[in-house]
Amino acid sequence: MEYAIELKGISKQFGPLFANKNVSLQLKKGEILALLGENGSGKTTLMNMLSGIYMPDSGSIFIDGKKVSISSPEDSAKLGIGMVHQHFKLVERFTALDNIRIGLRDNKSLLLKKDTKDVVMKMAEKFGFDIDPDKLVSNMSVSEKQTLEILKVLCYGAKIIILDEPTAVLTVQEIDKLFKVLRKMKEEGHSIIIITHKLNEVMDISDRVTVLRHGEYIGTVVTSESTEKSLTELMVGRKIDLDIKCVPIEKTKPLLEIRGLTVKNDEGAIAVDHLDFYIRGGEMLGVAGIAGSGQKELCEAIAGLRPIVDGKIIHKGDNIVGLPPAKILEKGISMSFIPEDRLGMGLAPSLSITDNMILKNYGEHKGPFIDRKLAREEAKKVIERFKVVTPSTETPVRKLSGGNVQKVLLGREIKSGPNVLITAYPVRGLDINSSYMIYDILNEQKKKDVGILFIGEDIDVMMALCDKIMVICHGRLMGVVNSNHTTKEEIGLMMTGALDLVDRGGKTAGIAKDSEIAGNDKNETEDTGL
Amino acid sequence: MKKYHLVRRSGQSLARRLVYYLIGILISLGIGAVLLWSLGINPFEFYGRMLSIGMIGNKYAYKNVEGFLKILVPLLITSLALGLSFKMRFWNIGGEGEFLIGAISAAVVAFTVTGLPRPLTILLMCLAAMLSSGLLGLFVAFFKVKFNTNETLVTLMINYIMLYVITYLGKTKEDWNFFLDPKSARPIFGKFPEAAIMDGIKIGNFNLLWSVIIAVALIVFIYVYLKYTKHGYEISVVGDSSATAKYAGMKVGRIVMRTMFISSAMIGLAAGLTASSSGTISETVTNNVGWTGIVVAWLGKLSVPAIAVTSVLISILQFGCKTAATKYPSIDSNFADLLQGIILFSVLTADFCATFTLKKKEDAKNA
Repeated sequence: MEYAIELKGISKQFGPLFANKNVSLQLKKGEILALLGENGSGKTTLMNMLSGIYMPDSGSIFIDGKKVSISSPEDSAKLGIGMVHQHFKLVERFTALDNIRIGLRDNKSLLLKKDTKDVVMKMAEKFGFDIDPDKLVSNMSVSEKQTLEILKVLCYGAKIIILDEPTAVLTVQEIDKLFKVLRKMKEEGHSIIIITHKLNEVMDISDRVTVLRHGEYIGTVVTSESTEKSLTELMVGRKIDLDIKCVPIEKTKPLLEIRGLTVKNDEGAIAVDHLDFYIRGGEMLGVAGIAGSGQKELCEAIAGLRPIVDGKIIHKGDNIVGLPPAKILEKGISMSFIPEDRLGMGLAPSLSITDNMILKNYGEHKGPFIDRKLAREEAKKVIERFKVVTPSTETPVRKLSGGNVQKVLLGREIKSGPNVLITAYPVRGLDINSSYMIYDILNEQKKKDVGILFIGEDIDVMMALCDKIMVICHGRLMGVVNSNHTTKEEIGLMMTGALDLVDRGGKTAGIAKDSEIAGNDKNETEDTGL
Repeated sequence: MKKYHLVRRSGQSLARRLVYYLIGILISLGIGAVLLWSLGINPFEFYGRMLSIGMIGNKYAYKNVEGFLKILVPLLITSLALGLSFKMRFWNIGGEGEFLIGAISAAVVAFTVTGLPRPLTILLMCLAAMLSSGLLGLFVAFFKVKFNTNETLVTLMINYIMLYVITYLGKTKEDWNFFLDPKSARPIFGKFPEAAIMDGIKIGNFNLLWSVIIAVALIVFIYVYLKYTKHGYEISVVGDSSATAKYAGMKVGRIVMRTMFISSAMIGLAAGLTASSSGTISETVTNNVGWTGIVVAWLGKLSVPAIAVTSVLISILQFGCKTAATKYPSIDSNFADLLQGIILFSVLTADFCATFTLKKKEDAKNA
């Protein structure tokens, strides 16, 4: 049998670390292969060697049975390999069509705009893509951008498509749409490799699954003959409990109340629009919404990092609007936001774990000096408690793998003993093992009567983990639902703005019955709005 | 198909780095030797004089040490100061301008304040220099923080402004211009009064200037400041990621302004000490430390001990070349500059080679 791709004994070393060690992989023609593995297991590195970004230190690559050497992305494209990266490679100020045109290399006849448009539209029609070729990328939603990326590699003649975590930023409905396209591509004889952490998606879309662990090849199984549980065990290397627990806790009075909050984004447009919600002690409130619906602005506003246009943020009865970030921290409100690059906010990447531990409380150290001994103790405690894998406390954070970076960040936030914990995307890009560890950490905090705002991506997880879920769309509240009495579809519809549950049944979602804010305040904020 | 590719070396071995530096220096000295030979100069003799800063067979060797230290002190302090701002990723290339305004302020005190004892006069000179340079640095930082101006451009332009200011002062023969020598008909910078000239501790014939002691103290102070204080911690966080610093509740603008003030004030101190120990000022008072300091700070990888060592080596090179060149009529100080350039270039190449290595791409045996 001739394979579309066959990798034999591929190894890649970064310094003393093996990212891939003697990895073999076979992709049959016209199949969808899922590549599964924990963070840092070398999936992306392996795929980057196929797309010409890295070169293997040893091993061979066969395309259609012929041995090849891929030393640049150009080589890769010539061999018919197209990769859709996790972070899109698009020119924001160009239209969809122009983004495709800039990458067309050999075919001179396609340089005319009209001709390209015809080809692109024909391709889009063939696979059932829904795309406006003249739309600027900067005006596109995440899902549109992804569609464009896939269409782009198809237009370049790719027969082998690699998708690196394509579903991480999509809603349920958008994932369905993507999978429909993938199946269509498969029918047309394309071969697809898909990297994802979500096992339900692996079960849904793939024909076979190849598992990597710590850079080594573990095995390949046929999807229909395996279960989510058996795949997890292959991936992690031991048995694991897949249930996410939601710990029911006796709730206390509202800890943090947000009323009529309006915040602008960096461009000056309204990002959070008259938002009302509250969190009680011992309660975990999930926030669901499409990426860029005002999550970041909401976090920054509560933490005092972004000025607010209008509204109230009441913490234990005190208005904290206008307080400097340091004062808000002192009140026990901790915010940790994991951005797309995982490092940009909250951690100083070149500094050691020790130095990152004291980022928020070094001011409390006595005199003009930093107490490194104390910091090292704290670092040791966090490393021990959260099983951070690191050579020492003095290792720069950027040298840790994604999961460990997030554990360091969350560990620091929790050690300060907050009473409100705002955490955005704490499991972003994490594998199952690390994710469950983080859920456990959060549940433990809940038991200590901490109010938690959990801004997440995965609705399944939020429905299992959170007590209630607040859905926002374009910064507006679509409703707060009890996670036991809702469905994934309902939340999906609310996320896209198609369903608005605010004011349903005469009760305004997001306002506590035993609010610390007097009733007439509510009207005031509404009057001053707009 | 490419057979080789660049790979970052695993681990940071200091020994390897030093060996590479040594090889680089030897190669550059070899190139220099060929040049010297073709000019009819024995390279071994030349290098002997250069590396011993002209002390071999010299009755007045202590004079050479004094001369060497006069070159070292301003370079050392300026490099440390620039390292401080670079650590914060504030690209202060205005060392020259900050140095010049400090020298001018020190000269103002030296010429106008009379009748005070020497230590007090020199202290006043240094304070004036530090304050003026510090404020100049603060000015740049303020605009950076408030309006996000490009500090590279602003500091660069300040260099020229200050250069023209001091040139103007040195060329304008007017009654108000107390900087000039009143006895000379031609405009020429005057000599400071006796009380404004730096003295030191006599060790035999050798005169250890106070400025050297201050410079050594500064090395220790900056080392501790960066490594163990809250201020130093803030500088490294802001330099690493200013978004993170803001998020942690740090007042980034204040930290930037404070650090730039300290950094520039240190350069001012270097200027005050230099002016006082040479007893006058001139357009060339900086000896280009504002530029050389940038190279030293980066060669030292912004680490305080490495910057100290590097500035000693560069000063040996500068002073040694100059003294050695005076012995031979066929070459002048330009040759010294050329040789310095070759050596610096090969050290930077060695630095690259110590970080990266070429690796052959091999196919798997089992393929």
